[in-house]
Amino acid sequence: MAEKVLAIFNTADEARAAVARLQSEGVPRAAITVMSAEPIHIEGDKSGAESRSRIGLFAVAGAILGGASGYLLTALTSRSINLVTGGMPIFTPWAFGIIIYELTALGAIIFAVGRMIYEARLARPGSLADYDEAVADGSVVLSVACEDETSAARIEAILGNHIRPA
Amino acid sequence: MQDRPADAKINADLLRSVVKVGRGWYATVIISALVFASAIGAFGYQLYSGIGVWGINRPVMWALGITNFVFWIGISHAGTLISAILRVTGAEWRRPVTRCAEAITVFALMIGAMFPIIHLGRPLLFYWLVPYPNERGLWPNFRSPLTWDFFAINTYLTGSIIYLYLPLIPDLALIRDKSRGLRRRIYGALSLGWRGTELQWARLEKAVQIMAVVIIPVAVSVHTIVSWDFAMAIRPMWHSTIFGPYFVAGAIFSGIAALILAMAVIRRALHLEDYLRPIHFNYLGLLLLTMSLIWFYFTFAEYLTTWYGNEPAEMAVFNSKVSGAYSPMFWTMVACCFFIPFPILAIKKLRTIKGTVIASAAVVVGMWIERFLIIVPTLAHPRLSFNWGTYRPTWVEILLTTGPFAYFVLLYAIFVKLFPIVAVWEYKEGFAVSKRTDSASAGEPAAAPAD
Repeated sequence: MAEKVLAIFNTADEARAAVARLQSEGVPRAAITVMSAEPIHIEGDKSGAESRSRIGLFAVAGAILGGASGYLLTALTSRSINLVTGGMPIFTPWAFGIIIYELTALGAIIFAVGRMIYEARLARPGSLADYDEAVADGSVVLSVACEDETSAARIEAILGNHIRPA
Repeated sequence: MQDRPADAKINADLLRSVVKVGRGWYATVIISALVFASAIGAFGYQLYSGIGVWGINRPVMWALGITNFVFWIGISHAGTLISAILRVTGAEWRRPVTRCAEAITVFALMIGAMFPIIHLGRPLLFYWLVPYPNERGLWPNFRSPLTWDFFAINTYLTGSIIYLYLPLIPDLALIRDKSRGLRRRIYGALSLGWRGTELQWARLEKAVQIMAVVIIPVAVSVHTIVSWDFAMAIRPMWHSTIFGPYFVAGAIFSGIAALILAMAVIRRALHLEDYLRPIHFNYLGLLLLTMSLIWFYFTFAEYLTTWYGNEPAEMAVFNSKVSGAYSPMFWTMVACCFFIPFPILAIKKLRTIKGTVIASAAVVVGMWIERFLIIVPTLAHPRLSFNWGTYRPTWVEILLTTGPFAYFVLLYAIFVKLFPIVAVWEYKEGFAVSKRTDSASAGEPAAAPAD
């Protein structure tokens, strides 16, 4: 059964050195999660952090959907109510375009945020299981996923006295 | 390079107001709540008696209510727009400033959006105006700039709340970790289980980046659309093609002034002298100076064109402002928006915290007067002179004008009690960014530049 080993470092440099040590001992970078109170930059794969984000794509999709909603709202409502326009066209791109524009932006914003919450794995129950509040005091916490107890013992030996007491 | 303070000190300083507030905070809350309560009372009286308790009458049917609407929507440009521009351009000095600014946007928008509803004859039926296909036999008129306002303000408000909330998540997690009991549960829920992993930081930065890019055109559109409430009408001195950019420039102008005022109060009240430093006021002062020049340019262009055209209906409004009944207000506006702030902000020795605060206070007053002068003189002088009129506000309108200022202070005071007003993680990150980017040169860290 997979288990996690947590280690606490006072500085980002110490954490970087530990990550390098773990990698040189054959621990895959994807198995190491680095937690910090501010963005820190550690070389390597970053356990998915550098994988391609689709937030931008979702923003575009949201924009298209928002714009389409704006078009449908203005065009269908005007036609279904049959507004009196004094001989002017019932659908006017100039005026309706403003509403479509606003809803386009709104769609982009909502979809981007929704996707960000999903990709960042936020709002999921039990997400704080392998977390340590030392992060709040400026420490950098490493969480290393281990396949079994043997590899956990090996990782604990590598990380030495930085291991969080059970 | 200045040494980075210990994390414990940064946390203690920036979370001080969240942990404990002093008597000053309680006094601020009580006084602002009382003033706001007086406005609620006035609004209750208006509901009971009808809109006739206002001073508006034919031909001046828009007055303080719409002045306040335009003013507060303008103030809202302090935050999200400025913060987004600073983020997109990578201005490192922004870090201690952005949250102060973003909070202003949300509160100012909430207040501004109240006024059209207050202004309705029957405010309790405001939802009748929501433009969607309905069974009430109403026609949602998508051609109306007022309907455009509905969409623009709601989009901007939604975007601004999200834009405020996203960078707040790591700080909410920080408070969660430092709290116990119910407070911990509440902040735990608000922080969405944030752990500060590399993945989360990367996604947060990406989302904030995208939001910043999207929100700038939305912010510009909001005040442009507010200007079109006027410019789309064939009214003297309203029907102008430059009203859109003129309003946007004025909004940014008043927004920066409001931001400087808020920062000065927060700096003093929360003892954040090490974080909101003179250099921040200097940079914002320079922005305010630029906007002062742009405002003067737009105002001069607008009035010169009217004067040169010499069209009688336009000149009636022009003369009422420049040399008629509204001239004291007009020249006060010009003094407050240009002649007072310009020298203060242009002379380096005067561009101190005190100097920028004086200039900003003048600008806020001047910009409120400007909104009034755009609305009332034009309505008081319709094209047919037999229909000219005057306007005098009643006590109800005056209370409904002063109350929202107190409401703004109240909301801001509550905000600083619940959330750190300077983004803790962004401030800390500033040192690391500065170290990375300036490793070859011996500069000051961007987050805490030298005074």
